[in-house]
Amino acid sequence: MANPLSPSIPPSPPSPSASFYDMSDDEEGDYNTIMHTRTGKGVKLLYSKSKVYVHPTPSAKDNIPGFIALIQQKSSSLAPTSPSTEARPTSASSSKSVASTSLLLAWVPESALGDAYDTYVKVDLSDSSSPPRQSYLVPEPPTSTTTHSSLGTYAFAVPVSEIYSLLVRPPSLGWWFGSVVINTRAGDSFPALFFHDSECESTILQRKKLARESFDPFSDGGGMFWGGDEVLRWLKRYVNIERSGAEPSIYLVEPTADDKLNFGGKPTTEKVRKSLEEENKNTPSKKRDGGMDPITKTLKEARWNFLEKLSQVTTFTRRTAQAVAENQNLPPQVRRLMHNPQVQTLQDEFDSARIYLARWAMGIAEQSERERMNRIWTAKDVLEMEDSAVGEFEILELEAGNLSLSERRKPVTLTEWNGWFDEHTGRLQITPDEVKERIFHGGLDPEDGVRKEAWLFLLEVFNWDSSKDERAAALNSRRDEYIRLKGAWWERQIEGNSTPEQAEYMRDQKSRIEKDVHRTDRTIALFAGEDTPHPDPDSPFADVGTNVHLEQMKDMLLTYNEYNKDLGYVQGMSDLLAPIYAVMQDDAVAFWGFEKFMERMERNFLRDQSGMRLQLLTLDHLVQLLDPALYLHLQKLDSTNFFFFFRMLLVWYKREFEWNNVLHLWEVLWTDYLSSNFHLFVALAILERHRDVIMEHLRGFDEVLKYVNELSNTIDLQTTLIRAEALFRRFQRTVEAIDKKGNFPAPNLRQRKPISATSSSDSVPKASASGADTGAGPASSSGSASGGAASGSGSGSGTAAQTKQQQQQQNKGKQTQGGQGQGAADAKPKEKVISPELRQLLSRKVEKLDKKEVRAHGGGVGT
Amino acid sequence: MATRKKVLLKVIILGDSGVGKTSLMNQYVNKKFSASYKATIGADFLTKEVLVDDRIVTMQLWDTAGQERFQSLGVAFYRGADCCVLVYDVNNSKSFETLDSWRDEFLIQASPMDPESFPFVVIGNKIDVEDSKRAISNKRAQMFCQQKGGVPYFETSAKEAINVEQAFEVIARQALAQEEAGDFNSDFPETIPINLESSNNGCAC
Ligand SMILES: Nc1nc2c(ncn2[C@@H]2O[C@H](COP(=O)(O)OP(=O)(O)OP(=O)(O)O)[C@@H](O)[C@H]2O)c(=O)[nH]1
Ligand SMILES: [Mg+2]
Repeated sequence: MANPLSPSIPPSPPSPSASFYDMSDDEEGDYNTIMHTRTGKGVKLLYSKSKVYVHPTPSAKDNIPGFIALIQQKSSSLAPTSPSTEARPTSASSSKSVASTSLLLAWVPESALGDAYDTYVKVDLSDSSSPPRQSYLVPEPPTSTTTHSSLGTYAFAVPVSEIYSLLVRPPSLGWWFGSVVINTRAGDSFPALFFHDSECESTILQRKKLARESFDPFSDGGGMFWGGDEVLRWLKRYVNIERSGAEPSIYLVEPTADDKLNFGGKPTTEKVRKSLEEENKNTPSKKRDGGMDPITKTLKEARWNFLEKLSQVTTFTRRTAQAVAENQNLPPQVRRLMHNPQVQTLQDEFDSARIYLARWAMGIAEQSERERMNRIWTAKDVLEMEDSAVGEFEILELEAGNLSLSERRKPVTLTEWNGWFDEHTGRLQITPDEVKERIFHGGLDPEDGVRKEAWLFLLEVFNWDSSKDERAAALNSRRDEYIRLKGAWWERQIEGNSTPEQAEYMRDQKSRIEKDVHRTDRTIALFAGEDTPHPDPDSPFADVGTNVHLEQMKDMLLTYNEYNKDLGYVQGMSDLLAPIYAVMQDDAVAFWGFEKFMERMERNFLRDQSGMRLQLLTLDHLVQLLDPALYLHLQKLDSTNFFFFFRMLLVWYKREFEWNNVLHLWEVLWTDYLSSNFHLFVALAILERHRDVIMEHLRGFDEVLKYVNELSNTIDLQTTLIRAEALFRRFQRTVEAIDKKGNFPAPNLRQRKPISATSSSDSVPKASASGADTGAGPASSSGSASGGAASGSGSGSGTAAQTKQQQQQQNKGKQTQGGQGQGAADAKPKEKVISPELRQLLSRKVEKLDKKEVRAHGGGVGT
Repeated sequence: MATRKKVLLKVIILGDSGVGKTSLMNQYVNKKFSASYKATIGADFLTKEVLVDDRIVTMQLWDTAGQERFQSLGVAFYRGADCCVLVYDVNNSKSFETLDSWRDEFLIQASPMDPESFPFVVIGNKIDVEDSKRAISNKRAQMFCQQKGGVPYFETSAKEAINVEQAFEVIARQALAQEEAGDFNSDFPETIPINLESSNNGCAC
């Protein structure tokens, strides 16, 4: 297939019968294949839209602005004199209605329009919400059904009857323009058309109009109205357009029953895979009447889908794409797809974002992994696994235990739960550890209400050895206590008997809490409503309305302030409370659940951020120990502050998983079954899952941050938990191995306590944890690098880089405490020890702060 | 393909929690306002390609959590900034009063080469809210900006998309100017650490 984006000009093409754009000046040399002949005959310009671009090269300066237009030919102008018409396979078009054969969808560069420019603009700006009333004649653009005949200009006009589908990508999240790719029935695809909506006057006007009429600038689909919507609207007036169920970005034009079948139901990746496998086996594929077999068609769509993704991004290099193509994690089918010559050309053409591409590749790998997980393991799998990232092969070991995977990972139901308690006394009949093991591996049933009971045990509102009556009594006194605490601030407020400072503090806290509660989990039905008038008419939220659950949330958080005076409200707390409240649906009970949860989370909210620093530092040590190669890469990217895990660690993955998975993950973490810091192994599992992508594609701190932030809602919880467990076991073994070796000194506690208030340069790593080569196993592909991280030149240069950084900071005189001592420690030869931070990970006991410590670390009052 | 070097402008958006930093950014980049943005935790950024005069530049807009408590972690992304946007809520006087400390904090952590001339832009957001709630007058804000050496000032509404484009156009210009000024003498500070590193390596081997 010819490359539509090749900058070279093809040999003089057959002259189109009716092309007659005026060439205004020499600049348009590129378009010199367009004929100047005037035939005097015109076609009807039904609709047009301006500022639709072709992006032929990586550089935005090469973008070509043009118009997309829907044109009606007179039937006679479809005369067989047009060479491209002759070339067109007639079988496919024979069944089409007259209307769709006489319609052309065209893209013409602005520079090629000549006198017709004004007409295009006029039609663009005329009201397109109803069929055109007036007819505007313009010169007929050259008709072409393949990219071959696009005359090297990218300009094309394709009969609507020849369009098989449109790949439509709305503009998204600040990364790229909306785009449309036209796929023909013959299996060709035209270059992606990019809608620069912010330059397009008609789109801007249409948005304004929509906003005026419905106070809603969004289109039916819920997204912001954009140029592509408009094109679909035009077409829908004349032909049947159906959105593919399987691949929502594909719109089928006049689909046959067969087409619908092909694009219905099953996920596309699955289908592509199947098609490819069939093709591989040389199974004769069933031909459809009218040309392409469904396999080729699916492939084409998938390929365009992929190419389009490439084109959407902005800092892509060929090298990166090549690396993706070589990635071991890619299924061979996809690798083959990547090697398709046209894909490769496109890689040259577009300057794009590796992040996006990387994620896409990851999605495919994830998919195929999930499929593998559902299969029985074979020896071959084991061999394959040994090549891959850390931790993978332990999964086998783990799942090979006596209980089958499905048995152990079935959620605990209310019936199973109740069966563990004595009927009469209500005392637990099995050990808490047995309960925890079950919940750790299976979670709790999301539907049957078992969470309401079990969470109170996990959060230690209830004692594990309590009787039914004791629990009832405990709950009663807790209720009273909640009412008392809530009453205290409430009364002060009503009676106005607080000092001005107290009142001011309260006002401030109240407004912080309110602002956050109104931004917390509003997509969950419980918190969505706005039907209750706001109790305080002066609140900034007075005119948006509220609901009873939001008000309860505010009261609980204010009460928590009353209870834990030293901390104060900190962002993130509302995120931690919402699930507990949603499960309990009882404010007093939820409050105490939250209070217990906060005992373990409190240190993350301290003013000096010592808790978060400790966590990030521990993660740093963990990666150094278990994946030194990745660590070195992150070091190069200035990313060993692990800041990109900040959000995950602060609110326990609340923003990364969807609601139900968050509940599941939290109950797993609350068990403390393996470690009271198991959430750090979850972080490591996520990082490891993406380590190849990070190492191969990401080139800077910003890219890592973006990549990790955008993992949100793409992470599979089940496999992540399995991997986290495997990583924990590996960690445990590694520590044991290091401890056993006589030449390693005992745990080094000389340096400092786990929590210490230091400047941010503290997050610069100390290579205090190392020796990964001891336990990593011979299969580790990073063998040599891991040695490097532990000692020798590798760590030498790492230290130099850190020292450099610190010196810079010190030179600037901006970084004060903490940094220097650290720098000095780094300059010394490394001791191969398990840092106290790491050793802490083996403990199942939750470290809690007492009130004095809260104050010592800056507390929260007045912040 | 010989093209001009791609320009990436790094812009940091600061201000108290809830003043509308995330909303402003999304209004500018995605032309959208949603009442259900979550409180920002950690940091994130959006990018947008814009045309400044005849140059296409990529703006990288950094959005951070507004609560002061999280600011000490900011150092990782403040560095290398080309412009800093200070946002407050015109209906909340406290958010205006903290602008100074946001500015100081930024200068300390980003440590730009010439703090005196580093470009800031001040935005007073939420002007769509009824007048009776307004706490900071245009005049007072203007005076503040004058005192800071003529910092550009905009009043916006992220909700109603008022003045957002205009403000960011100026932000882009300021950032580009800063970037170009910075390019001029950027060779010097880079050579020193390289030497330092290689000499250290020499020692280690
Ligand atoms: N009326 C009005 N409300 C706004 C405007 N901009 C933001 N808001 C609302 O103000 C609240 C906070 O907005 P955000 O954009 O999340 O604020 P932020 O500065 O990013 O806050 P943090 O992430 O906590 O630092 C939300 O409820 C928004 O809906 C505005 O221009 N007008
Ligand atoms: Mg925000």
